Amino acid sequence: MRKNIAPKSRGVRRSPHWPLHVALIVVSALMLMPFYWVLKTSLTGENIFVYPPSVLPKDPHPFYYVDVWYFIPFARYLANSLIVSALAIAANVVFNAMAAYALTKNFKGRGLMMTLLLSCMMIPFQTTIVPAYLITGQLGLLNSYLGLALPTFSTIVCIFVYKASFDAVPRSLIDAARIDGLSELQVIMKIMMPLSTAAVATNVILSFIWSWNSFLWPLIVVREPQMQTLPLGLSRFLTYHENTTGALYAFCIMVLLPGIAIFLLAQKEFIRGLTSGATKG
Amino acid sequence: MTSSFPRNTLTGAGSTVPVRRGAAGSKQRRELTLIWAFLLPSLLVFFLYRILPLAWNVILSFQQFSLFGESKWIGFVHYRDMLEDEVFWTSLWNTLIYIASAPIGILLALAISLMVNIEIRGRNLYRTIVFLSYPLMTVAVGIIWRWMYDEKVGLFNFILRYLGVIDKPLPFLQSFEWALPSILLANVWQILGFYMIILLAGLQAIPQNLYEAASIDGASPRQQFIRITLPLLRPSIFLAFVIGIMTSFTSFDLVYVMTQGGPSHSSELLVTYIYKAAFELSRIDYAAALTVVQFVLLVVLTWVGNRLSGGDAGARETG
Amino acid sequence: MFNWKSLLRPSSLLGAALVVAYFSMATPALAQQKKISFLTWNIADQEELFKEWIAEFKKIRPDVDVEWLDKKGPEFPTYYQTQVIAGTPPDIINTQGGLWLEYAAAGGMVDLTPFMARDADVRRRFNADYLANWTYDSKNYMLPFYISKSLLFYNKTMFKEAGLTAPPQTFDQMMDFAAKMSKGDKTGMLTLNFDWLYWPLFQMNGVDLLTPDLKKAAFNTPKAVQVLDALAKATANGGINKVSWTGRWVEPNGAFAAGNVGMLHAHSPAFFFIRGQAPWLNADTFGAAHVPGGWATPNSHGLGISKGSKHPEIAWEFLKMITSEKWTARFSERRKVLTGNIASDKTTLEKMRKDDPLAATVLQTQLEQTDKLTGNWRLANDSQVKAAFYPEIQNAVLGRKTAAEALKDAEVKVNRALAR
Repeated sequence: MRKNIAPKSRGVRRSPHWPLHVALIVVSALMLMPFYWVLKTSLTGENIFVYPPSVLPKDPHPFYYVDVWYFIPFARYLANSLIVSALAIAANVVFNAMAAYALTKNFKGRGLMMTLLLSCMMIPFQTTIVPAYLITGQLGLLNSYLGLALPTFSTIVCIFVYKASFDAVPRSLIDAARIDGLSELQVIMKIMMPLSTAAVATNVILSFIWSWNSFLWPLIVVREPQMQTLPLGLSRFLTYHENTTGALYAFCIMVLLPGIAIFLLAQKEFIRGLTSGATKG
Repeated sequence: MTSSFPRNTLTGAGSTVPVRRGAAGSKQRRELTLIWAFLLPSLLVFFLYRILPLAWNVILSFQQFSLFGESKWIGFVHYRDMLEDEVFWTSLWNTLIYIASAPIGILLALAISLMVNIEIRGRNLYRTIVFLSYPLMTVAVGIIWRWMYDEKVGLFNFILRYLGVIDKPLPFLQSFEWALPSILLANVWQILGFYMIILLAGLQAIPQNLYEAASIDGASPRQQFIRITLPLLRPSIFLAFVIGIMTSFTSFDLVYVMTQGGPSHSSELLVTYIYKAAFELSRIDYAAALTVVQFVLLVVLTWVGNRLSGGDAGARETG
Repeated sequence: MFNWKSLLRPSSLLGAALVVAYFSMATPALAQQKKISFLTWNIADQEELFKEWIAEFKKIRPDVDVEWLDKKGPEFPTYYQTQVIAGTPPDIINTQGGLWLEYAAAGGMVDLTPFMARDADVRRRFNADYLANWTYDSKNYMLPFYISKSLLFYNKTMFKEAGLTAPPQTFDQMMDFAAKMSKGDKTGMLTLNFDWLYWPLFQMNGVDLLTPDLKKAAFNTPKAVQVLDALAKATANGGINKVSWTGRWVEPNGAFAAGNVGMLHAHSPAFFFIRGQAPWLNADTFGAAHVPGGWATPNSHGLGISKGSKHPEIAWEFLKMITSEKWTARFSERRKVLTGNIASDKTTLEKMRKDDPLAATVLQTQLEQTDKLTGNWRLANDSQVKAAFYPEIQNAVLGRKTAAEALKDAEVKVNRALAR
């Protein structure tokens, strides 16, 4: 299958697109299949251990979604999650861009710094729970929004995504900016970032998802029930004393929606990047 | 302030521009300070939440830790125990298998990214559908895939039997050989979207005029792909590769929900064994030693990968 | 831009003054308040009950604030251990199964024996067999919160179809019945496997896990090999569903609720989950019985005091209150459990026989044959012994090793774990 990457401005299609569509439809079907079952069970609450599984939903009703809202303090948890994620996104976009910009410059110790950062990725969160708690305690940030968001304030993956994008900015633009007397910070804000909207979008999406779905950290660092974030509500649906299957699946869908929303909002950044390519160099 | 470096549109702001030393010393020193100042906030976060905890683990790995009493130093005892620990070797092997299969997911994501990067109708929809699985809570992914794999009532067995491919149901998660690949598949399903947006971000960074210039020169799409896309995509591919090395981390919840590492540790990963040792077996000191070993292993793998791809985290050389 | 002048307006100044006044008022009272916290295990649905506890305790001890925390099973040790290392353990903890042993043996729990000696009536409240569950080294470490043990649920419809009239009376019958009922997509039997819940299957055949002094493995016997082999064969030919050996509780319980399983070996709370998912369930289609020999693994919840608690006396007072008949009855009313408090369990069951006879038959089994409890050895490193033993069982029942091989390997591993 040919990968046609010729720009649209050509006007004339170079090769048929239908093989692409076929491939993408197959991929989409495979990706969507599990979702169908999650959605179906959230609407019917049926026992998934019945065989054969029913393909069509039996007596669907939206009341599990209502249940979820009242079963747990959904609104409260939602608000908490929003605040924590907002903090995380804001910090991420700023800190990661700054760090990435620094890494685009050739300075002594840069190689070491990059190795250090890559190595830091190899430390899974589960191995840092206890010391992270102790450190956050020392900082006096236990059970607070800042304490919840702080570990996710910067992520190495996103630094490198920025770096790849910054590296592609032509030297000529930066030199011109320097000649115009722009400070480094202004270079980042006025030249790098506008040309890296896809990287910014990626950063926003990823830092949102990671802080939104974060479960183990809020579990340890939150003490008061009203400071809990959404994922902590999950445990309420996993008891063996009562059947909460439909509500569980409805809960999962409800927690998923904001992540999708952010992705959809950021979608245009991925398109815009393509058409703005003409302004590069 | 003219630059004496060659202007080359292919060269970005990156690698080739050294901070000049010499006559304009204070300016360079100021620039160096600025560089470190820019790195500081991120470094601070990593120092607090990754480096210090790692140090804590290192220290703990040489101790016999008592939750309610005194801890004492015992040197390399935990590391020696590890060598004789069957479960350690099994989980190490499983983790390596996981890492070795990462390229499959990356290639798949690369193919999809390239496809959705082309201006076809419904591109946004395809992209969204592929990404949909990533924001889903991993626990939810585990729950639904566990059901799909169920021997008696699961979707996969239902489809396979309906199509007549098999007549006896397959016990995916109860099988010593299939438990780990089954989890791996669920992981790939979820993480495809993640790879995709990293690669898409990388694709966007490639200037369009390069393709236009190449087309004018008569280069075919395949040539354009090989000589423009791939090289400029290297940093993103390298990043995806590094993410692939730590891919077992993202399967933590999957293992816990789907198999608890079983049957008989055949789907145990280092990261799940570390957690179990720390919190289920009350051996947090042994878990610390495991953490150190895993860290060293993964860093070595990353370093090897970096070397093999030409060093410098995949950034391209000057033209 | 922001109007700074507005800050100086009288209303804002008044507001600021009120805020300052509130906080300065609040502080003196806080300084005299003591605080205790209690951590429960996966029982967040009883939030209302805990609020009532706290309100009542406020009347008894107005100088004490009580905080309630709840964590799910898999995260409970993580949370608790982090709190211990940080020096702020919850004063009271509710644990399930054998976790308390790890903490007690390591010196992390307060010995309740002197408290119980002082308040002699407390001990008398409880079912002695269940209470004895939480003794280690002749010391009492916990009071019962709610009790449960394993039993056999069976699908009467499937029994009838296979021509069976009563629950099995021996192990061989059990395997036989399982084979008879497993036709097509139906399964003869399922068992839960977490903690030591599957152990009665061995105990009923006279297999002991360890020697009486708990120092060495005692399960590598010809009889045990026979039993394990029978289980492996049953698993291989579909009599026992494989998910018994690899699933937690959702799958076996869900499968039984779907009506395709003849017998389910589970603990009593599973009944309520099953009933929620099984419209077919009633006295004609469902039965509850003891496994052959009456053996059962307890999976009760206990309440204990952390060693690091700053107010063990206050914690004890709180424990006394919540395990008194008034409150255990209230708890049983809300959640349909038995609490181990003799008096309230009696009245609970009496009421339940009228209101919910099926649940009553299930809960009745919990108070019978309490001298036949197994799977509850007082091992300081219980989890490590489990981790050494169970994977080998999996190897055998899932066909990777022969029963003899598996038990031999398990013996080596368990002895190593015990020696540590």
